[in-house]
Amino acid sequence: MGVVRRVLLDKRVLTGDSIIHRLDPRPKFFFFLWISVLAYVFYDYVLTALFLLVILALAAAAGILRRILLVLAVIVLPGFAFAIPILSVLFPWNETLMFKLHILGFELPLYYEGFTWGLSWPLKIAVCVSSALLFYLTTEPGELIALLFKLRLPYKFIYMVTITLQLIPLLLDEIQTIYQAQLSRGLRTKANPVKRIWNFLALVIPLTLSSLMKVQTRAIALESRGFSAPVRKTCLYDIRLRAGDHLFFSAMIAVTLLLAYLYLLYGFSPIVHLKFYYVAG
Amino acid sequence: MEAVVSFEEFSYSYPTREDVLVDIDFQVHRGEVLGVIGPNGAGKSTLCRCLNGLIPHFYGGRIRGKVIVAGLDTQEHSTAELSMKVGLLFQDPIEQLSGVALTVEEEVGFGLSMLGYPKEVIGERVAEAIERVGLKGLEGRSPYELSGGQQQRLALATVLAMRPEVIALDEPTALLDPIGKYEVFGVLRELASEGSTLMVVEHEIEELAYIADRILLLHGGRILSIDESKRVLSEVSRLKEIGVDPPSVTELTYLLEREVGVALGEYPTTLPEAVRLYGEVLRS
Amino acid sequence: MTEREATAPAARILAVVMIPMIAALNYVGGVLVELTKAPIWGDTWATMLGTLISGLWVGAVGGFLYNIIMAFTVWGLPAWVWGTANIVVALITWICIRMGWDDLRRPWTLIPAFILFGPIYTVYTTMVSILIFGGGPLWKPLPAAIYAAVLKSTGNFWLANYVQNLSTEIPDKWISYIISLLIVSRVPRRFILVRR
Repeated sequence: MGVVRRVLLDKRVLTGDSIIHRLDPRPKFFFFLWISVLAYVFYDYVLTALFLLVILALAAAAGILRRILLVLAVIVLPGFAFAIPILSVLFPWNETLMFKLHILGFELPLYYEGFTWGLSWPLKIAVCVSSALLFYLTTEPGELIALLFKLRLPYKFIYMVTITLQLIPLLLDEIQTIYQAQLSRGLRTKANPVKRIWNFLALVIPLTLSSLMKVQTRAIALESRGFSAPVRKTCLYDIRLRAGDHLFFSAMIAVTLLLAYLYLLYGFSPIVHLKFYYVAG
Repeated sequence: MEAVVSFEEFSYSYPTREDVLVDIDFQVHRGEVLGVIGPNGAGKSTLCRCLNGLIPHFYGGRIRGKVIVAGLDTQEHSTAELSMKVGLLFQDPIEQLSGVALTVEEEVGFGLSMLGYPKEVIGERVAEAIERVGLKGLEGRSPYELSGGQQQRLALATVLAMRPEVIALDEPTALLDPIGKYEVFGVLRELASEGSTLMVVEHEIEELAYIADRILLLHGGRILSIDESKRVLSEVSRLKEIGVDPPSVTELTYLLEREVGVALGEYPTTLPEAVRLYGEVLRS
Repeated sequence: MTEREATAPAARILAVVMIPMIAALNYVGGVLVELTKAPIWGDTWATMLGTLISGLWVGAVGGFLYNIIMAFTVWGLPAWVWGTANIVVALITWICIRMGWDDLRRPWTLIPAFILFGPIYTVYTTMVSILIFGGGPLWKPLPAAIYAAVLKSTGNFWLANYVQNLSTEIPDKWISYIISLLIVSRVPRRFILVRR
């Protein structure tokens, strides 16, 4: 199974104890939202790379740097690999020639606009992905539930989020069983695309049917335990803001002010001074 | 005797199935254990679903008559309201888990947190319920890491934590291995001896014979008989006719009488009873 | 006899459990695609299935929830926007049910569904991929080659994105739709809440 999937799966055995783990989930959550928004407010690959470095430094402090880098290698690196060469040559708004590349007798002009576009966007995504992982991988499931309670979300929503996260590993276990059974009945993974779709069906149909059976039973069990009672539900978990959390928040506010100042002064590209954010037409 | 549950001239049809229960009229008294037996499709599970208002609130369907539980008419009170009065235990221990609790403790507290009880009260009741089902020491485990018997006892603890006036168990050991069955029945016997009010649907008639004060025999949605356990279980030919196996000692005695001509005068329903009766016969 | 219908709480509580199941199945679908190497994305079929079984709202919310959860755990914040694409998938599925474009035994009824899921749905995903994700090439060799080819021959950024997305959405959505119809045909009647 792929790296990205494994990150979610391993969550079950992942518990850590670090400065980042000990933070209240609220500062971590707002940091994730905050830096993701910042990545979109600015269009400046140096600044975005700085954001990424800050996240990676925090990830290192939390002891999860390797896992995050692994995910980035799988879902962001190919972004650069495809986007930079293609857009450097073919981006319709290319005008500033960087240099000409000579391969196999061909002359390929590489342009700055396409190059920066192909560099900036995957970087933005890298910031968003790594900040999400930083939050998720350092937050215990109980803390996550407490966070959702504190955000005053309706209980139904909290329940749905939590149960989805718990259902996934259960369903994956079930897939393993079905997969083994189908393998022993002659399912082959090295097959042509049409055959592979049939393989997909052979796994997905039994899984879905058994899942649907569970839906009804669980609904009945929930109902029998007072799920629909029209009262405010009790949260069984405690979270508390400590000095470190306040410090973290203060740092975020200070940086926000600084960045706001830079934005007012230089616009969306304060360091490398790119010319346009969105393409026109 | 005070009735905790009372079915009054009750008939029910599912939206998709007619006459699942017909003219049901009986009471469960405070402190008694009522066993419910009958062949598959007799309407036993349906009977359980009536207690906490799943019928009609969840399933819909057509109803005649009334079901009153702890003074509440199930047609007028929601399942959530009734969840404080009636605990329901199902066959599959996994599927009745809330699905969101990370530990045994949280699972037991789930129902109370749904009803908005303060945390301190929840903590107290959870500890008590876990103690009663013998899961002490496993509070911090994930419910999914428990054995089948432990999971079913956990499910029972979730019910006990609500302190219901009556607990209905729908074949609570059907999916368990022998050890699991033994564990669950161990807890049930204790509950019975403490004076809890239970309604137990069970195929394990041998075990039921030990704990049930009375037994209700259901067939085709109708009550065939409701009486003291010993009496109902002694009607061997009738039980076998509708496809219910009586306890083996009871059947043995019945067959000895019919085919060998040795009569004991009464039918034992549990092993100790059989030992006593046969001991007397053999000694004389 | 007093007649009683299944009351609202039943449907509501079923939805509460069905919605996370759809979200989880979407996720698991993605894993299954990796496992079987089927040539699709595989993470919207459960949205279609949910809509076919429990109706528009349940399908749409289930699909949306899947993307929300992925955005907040692995994919990063902006990925939540794909949740709106999942809502569009549920909406298209719903239209197909209403119009009767869902009969596997009469394949021609599927043609309008294929048009909605192919060229029309792709307009939406193209907008999202340009406005939220910059509109670069996809990170798979074949779509990226198509993207480069269209960009080279027309110089049109939007068109390049559109054609590239068509090349992945068409097989994915068509196959997913057929798969979910196949599954629904095997689901016991009593689970199906949508009236046909």
